[in-house]
Amino acid sequence: MRVRELLTPERTHYHLHGASKKRLLDQVAQLAAQGNPELGEQQVFEALIARERLGSTGIGEGIAIPHCRLASCQQPVGMLISLDEAIDFDAVDGRPVDLVFVLLVPEDNPEQHLKTLSHLAALFNEQSFRDGLRGANSASHLYRTAVDSEAELQLAS
Amino acid sequence: MESLNVFILIGAFILFIGLLLGSLSTRIGVPTLLVFLGVGMAAGENGIGGIQFEDVDFAFLISNLALAIILLDGGLRTRLETFRVGLKPALSLATLGVALSAMFTGAFATWLLGVDWRVGLLLGGIIGSTDAAAVFSMIRSAGVRINARVASTLEIESGLNDPMAIFITVLLIDLLLKPDASWGAETLTTLIQQFGVGALLGVGLGILLAELLLRVRSNEGLHALLLCTGGLSLFAITNLLGGSGFLAAYVAGLVAGNWRSGTSDNVLRSMDSMAWLAQSGMFLLLGLLVSPKEMLDSLLPGLAIALFLMLVARPLAVWLSLLPFGFPRREQGFIAWTGLRGAVPIVLAVFPLMSGLDQSRLLFDIVFVVVIASLLLQGTTLGPMARRLKLALPPAAKPLTEVGLEGVDDQFITQFRIEPGSRADGKTLSHLVTPLIRPVALVRAGNSLPLEDNPPLRAGDTLSLLASHGELEQLSEWFLSSTVALRRFYGDFTVRANVQVADVAMSYGLAGLAEEELALSLEQLFRRRHSTTPVIGDTIDLGGIRLRVRAMERGRVSLVGIRLPKG
Repeated sequence: MRVRELLTPERTHYHLHGASKKRLLDQVAQLAAQGNPELGEQQVFEALIARERLGSTGIGEGIAIPHCRLASCQQPVGMLISLDEAIDFDAVDGRPVDLVFVLLVPEDNPEQHLKTLSHLAALFNEQSFRDGLRGANSASHLYRTAVDSEAELQLAS
Repeated sequence: MESLNVFILIGAFILFIGLLLGSLSTRIGVPTLLVFLGVGMAAGENGIGGIQFEDVDFAFLISNLALAIILLDGGLRTRLETFRVGLKPALSLATLGVALSAMFTGAFATWLLGVDWRVGLLLGGIIGSTDAAAVFSMIRSAGVRINARVASTLEIESGLNDPMAIFITVLLIDLLLKPDASWGAETLTTLIQQFGVGALLGVGLGILLAELLLRVRSNEGLHALLLCTGGLSLFAITNLLGGSGFLAAYVAGLVAGNWRSGTSDNVLRSMDSMAWLAQSGMFLLLGLLVSPKEMLDSLLPGLAIALFLMLVARPLAVWLSLLPFGFPRREQGFIAWTGLRGAVPIVLAVFPLMSGLDQSRLLFDIVFVVVIASLLLQGTTLGPMARRLKLALPPAAKPLTEVGLEGVDDQFITQFRIEPGSRADGKTLSHLVTPLIRPVALVRAGNSLPLEDNPPLRAGDTLSLLASHGELEQLSEWFLSSTVALRRFYGDFTVRANVQVADVAMSYGLAGLAEEELALSLEQLFRRRHSTTPVIGDTIDLGGIRLRVRAMERGRVSLVGIRLPKG
């Protein structure tokens, strides 16, 4: 799935204050449950934390892609967050994280969701994509940059 | 007086040209040994130099000295940690492998050349051992990093198999000169004596030498000389007592190099020049000794034997010797192809010449052709082969210098150059520094910058850091010019190796896993799937995702990369 199928303007957050990894995931759960009440704030939080316990989803270059499967989830949900201040995410390269893409997926059809996750990781590996997002100056700008990215078109082709 | 100076001029000038061209050889992708041989041949009777050199005794003496030093140097550079994964398979390759390859090649040569089977087998023994220096200089200059299991197996094999090849050669020469000598128990005793005495004296005298040198605290240049002369004495003593001096030299190097905190980088660097001198001197001399014109007659049979050795004998011997160790196919293939022949066979080919055996000239010429063919064909294709067989790890940034601190264990000052586009480029110093990694100096355009004000790092700077070996390994990723390759290799996500397979399966919805694997940790899963100790770069497939060992700590897997199916 492409970013435009996962993301909505409501789920794009500009310059959130992360404070810490745990606080950030707490806010993510809250925001996710506000938009999609069926998800359940506590469940989202616990599932994301459970994944982080296996190893950080900070993939390097200031990017984190927290992800989890949820029984209550009907269709894949993406959230894009830029932070006002980079936070320590225990990332693989040790760098603090300032861009976060959250992916919540249903439990069925795991192969397809793995491909979506792989696509997101590849996309965020593109320097031009990251630079575009870091240059955004509002939530709507961030959203448009993400869904209209050239990098994604090139990846798809 | 004049003839003396002419003699010095000729000797020194040949050595000078050889070393000069040799130092360029890695840049043009030709094995250094080949350059030395070439220069020697060019200076010889059929070349531009036209020098008549037939002094086999002198060549023999120099070759023995040089070989002992090369093996000593090889031992000094081998880290004992590599023995954990490499020793057993290397031992099997160095003993059984050499014997098998000698037998196969011997049978083929006997048939091809129509000689006595003992002469055939002698040839097989002479070209039975691989060359440590050639193997490693080629792998390094090909710019690939291969996984620790293959690298340490090859490295230790090439150090250990020389005594075996020497043993077979000496035994067969005896047999050919005294046809009524008996085989059997006595042969076995000699074998055990050669290896036993060699190993024992190597360890014992190696410790003595290492302790002695620790107390002397000489400067590095002198240190290297003491090591060399001490090593050569030990080599001779062992030979006199009926052991394998070559094995003793390698083992003594190994012991001295790993004793207490090991040999410092500076000593190794001055040993480097001794090893260069040994290699260049020996090969130049051996190049002088051959007569390329006569060698031409042996070209075709030599090539046939070389091809048989590379494509049949060595692969078969490797496969059989490694059967108990569960090496993956691709790794076996690479080990088989890395059977580079070098100095030892040529030196061993001088043995029959010395003993005045019939057909010894034929043997010498054929061995020469085999070595050159192996260096040319295998030596120049190792890099592409490693990549083709998917054994190449992403390149690691090599520190410019690395110096161990005295009086404290496992603390090194290392200097890295910051490459443009590397992860460190453009970051500030505080990004890299942790309580375990302390900055020492940042040098830009010849000036050392103050570290207190957290300077930004720029391409071209050199940064010196104080840290342990384990930290440095992780740290080197910062100085790579491409981190994209790193991610492509290990996968996008990383998990700790002590987590349960069941938890990973849960997180990613992996189906169809074996019940008994779910209760394991990832580390245990790697050990179970690979019957050998896992090394960085090993992969396993798990229900549609691919796991790859990303980092090791104290011999255990610590981090595992996850590669997802392509979207």
